[in-house]
Amino acid sequence: MLVEAGAWLDHRLGVGASIREAARHPVPRSSASWWYVFGSCTFAVMVLQFITGMCLATVYAPTADRAWQSLLYLNYNQPLGWFIRALHGWGSNFMIALVCIHLAQVFLFGAYKYPRELTWTAGVVLLLCTLGMAFTGQVLRFDQDAYWGLGIAAAIAGRTPLIGGRVVKIILGGPIIAGDTLSRFFTLHVFVIPAVLIAFVVLHLFLVLKLGINEWPMPGRIVRRETYLAEYHKMVTEDGEPFFPYAAQKDLVAIGLVIAALVVTAAIMGPIGPNGEPDPAIIQTVPRPDFFFLWLFSAFALLPPWTETFLMLTGPVVAIALLFAIPFISGTGEKSFRRRPMSVVLLVMTFMTIGILIYLGTYSPWSPHMEAWSGTPTPVDYVRGRTPLELQGAILIQAKQCRNCHSLGGRGGMRGPALDDTATRLTPNQIVRQILEGGGNMPAYGKNLSPAEVNALVAFLETMHPGDEPPARSSINPAVAPSY
Amino acid sequence: MAWRVGIAAVLVVSLVAGCDSLPGRPRESDRPISPSQVKSFARLYDENCAGCHGAHGRFGAAYELADATYQALVDDATLKRIISNGIAGTAMPAFAQTAGGYLTTAQIAILVDGMRQRWKTGRPLVDAPPYAGPDGDPGRGARTFAQSCAPCHGPKGEGGEKAPGSITDPSYLALVSDQSLRTLIIAGRSDLGHPDWRGYPPGQPLSAEQVADVVAWLAARRQHFQGAVYARNR
Repeated sequence: MLVEAGAWLDHRLGVGASIREAARHPVPRSSASWWYVFGSCTFAVMVLQFITGMCLATVYAPTADRAWQSLLYLNYNQPLGWFIRALHGWGSNFMIALVCIHLAQVFLFGAYKYPRELTWTAGVVLLLCTLGMAFTGQVLRFDQDAYWGLGIAAAIAGRTPLIGGRVVKIILGGPIIAGDTLSRFFTLHVFVIPAVLIAFVVLHLFLVLKLGINEWPMPGRIVRRETYLAEYHKMVTEDGEPFFPYAAQKDLVAIGLVIAALVVTAAIMGPIGPNGEPDPAIIQTVPRPDFFFLWLFSAFALLPPWTETFLMLTGPVVAIALLFAIPFISGTGEKSFRRRPMSVVLLVMTFMTIGILIYLGTYSPWSPHMEAWSGTPTPVDYVRGRTPLELQGAILIQAKQCRNCHSLGGRGGMRGPALDDTATRLTPNQIVRQILEGGGNMPAYGKNLSPAEVNALVAFLETMHPGDEPPARSSINPAVAPSY
Repeated sequence: MAWRVGIAAVLVVSLVAGCDSLPGRPRESDRPISPSQVKSFARLYDENCAGCHGAHGRFGAAYELADATYQALVDDATLKRIISNGIAGTAMPAFAQTAGGYLTTAQIAILVDGMRQRWKTGRPLVDAPPYAGPDGDPGRGARTFAQSCAPCHGPKGEGGEKAPGSITDPSYLALVSDQSLRTLIIAGRSDLGHPDWRGYPPGQPLSAEQVADVVAWLAARRQHFQGAVYARNR
């Protein structure tokens, strides 16, 4: 029955032969490897994203007043709505991870070299589209993170010389984040970027079919424009296998595993957000981008202020241009990573840098913890046995919000040094000077504290030396000679 | 073939049937609420009070709220006023939105009610000096101090073995209000071992007048700081 229907269709469409030809096109025996499955896995997750995305779009309301509510409806009221949201949110994370692994593999195996430059270029467009989908998706999850994340993106765009204001208006659909903003990002997320994505996936796959799958790189097998095509042709005719089923079976197994992992992750971790209502009047929030942009968040936070505008505006452009340029910089020569040590170092350094920046971004030690002063109790050991004045100092450490930047007992902000051993480093006079005048990244508090308050703070901080460590001593006081 | 379909069917059915108990399913308690909608005493206390007053109202740097004597001494209106408007001249800030804080009137009521439910045992205090009273006389206060407080705090309040640290230190006195001195003398701080009005020494409770006198004597030790004087400069 199915066969008959297929034959009926093919009689009219006449595409069966080309599909069969594409499926059976010969691939080098060496490239039917588990290393070559990540592109297919990315594609599969993308298809799943399209399906879950369509499901979500039937409920999601892309208006500023109802978007957040509709997400809550999906999470709490719609049967299995939370699961679709979880699949879509984690699917986005999976897709980015797979794209990055695929990119790393292609880079390491030299698969971007002649004649596959255009395949790589299309791939870079796909990477940018994937990140674009992730960012616009994060905005559609219209919560506090989305609101402030978008505000930061707009503020960065607003730094562009001359046209900054116009760019912000184009991004936000007006001077502020409002209903028009959400419509724009909905359009980008649902129509514009997916259309580009599909077009470039088609181009990417067409090129893979046309130029053939990259062979396993062998050290010493040099890519030369004059000879490569003939060599590849010889390889696939003499030692090739049909793509289906020989190479495709590994792809299918990997796709199955990735989707199973995604389903399990979604079932265990649940949907991502939404967190608090996107109300700019609520300032008790610690907005943070999703993990795939945490490294940018960290990098921008750690840039020296005088380089900020220049690097924020030129850095991404240069990085993207470099990615596009890779096949044109080293389009021929060795493919094997065993003979390309600098490429390996470059890749490892890039991933390590991004990884460390993401890790730092998860707890952003440079940001004050604005809730610490009222929400993080003074360690009980620092309360027991203290004098009345020292206790007043302990209260002031909280009330003057010192702990938003300085930790006690491992809790509190990390912007300044922990206070637990202050007295081993500073003499009382030095503590007074530090509080009054600030310095070393600390503001001066001389005008915000009364002398009595400073005295209380110093009295408390003087007790801050662990039992076995003596307090700091002024160098003008004679040292007590040890008695032998 | 049939058994494969069977296994798949069992898997699908158990997934759909069991999805209510999957760990990723958001619970009603995960629903995000705006800070002004928080109604849980525990959360309000932990976020706003615990920093200074201690994790469960005890062993904080600031006054012990989980003290039954204190809770019996102070009335609802006073607690509400202190939380709302803070105490001028001390480190206690104003928490009411009407006074520049973040808490709504309803949330402050939740805090007051929660503290009462948890920490007020219900027994009224017998013969306790009232929370507030008329000013005392520093001269008489000196005699009461010498008799009732000096054994621990030293003859001039400079501190002793049982109670280290001066309570007449000008910086200390500049940072506490007369009312907080009075509250401390009447209700004590059981977590840090300071007795209440009945324990100076036990069996000889202080009268309301004596409490007011000691507060007056301590208040008279206050110095007005002229410019920046850092007492412990050395």
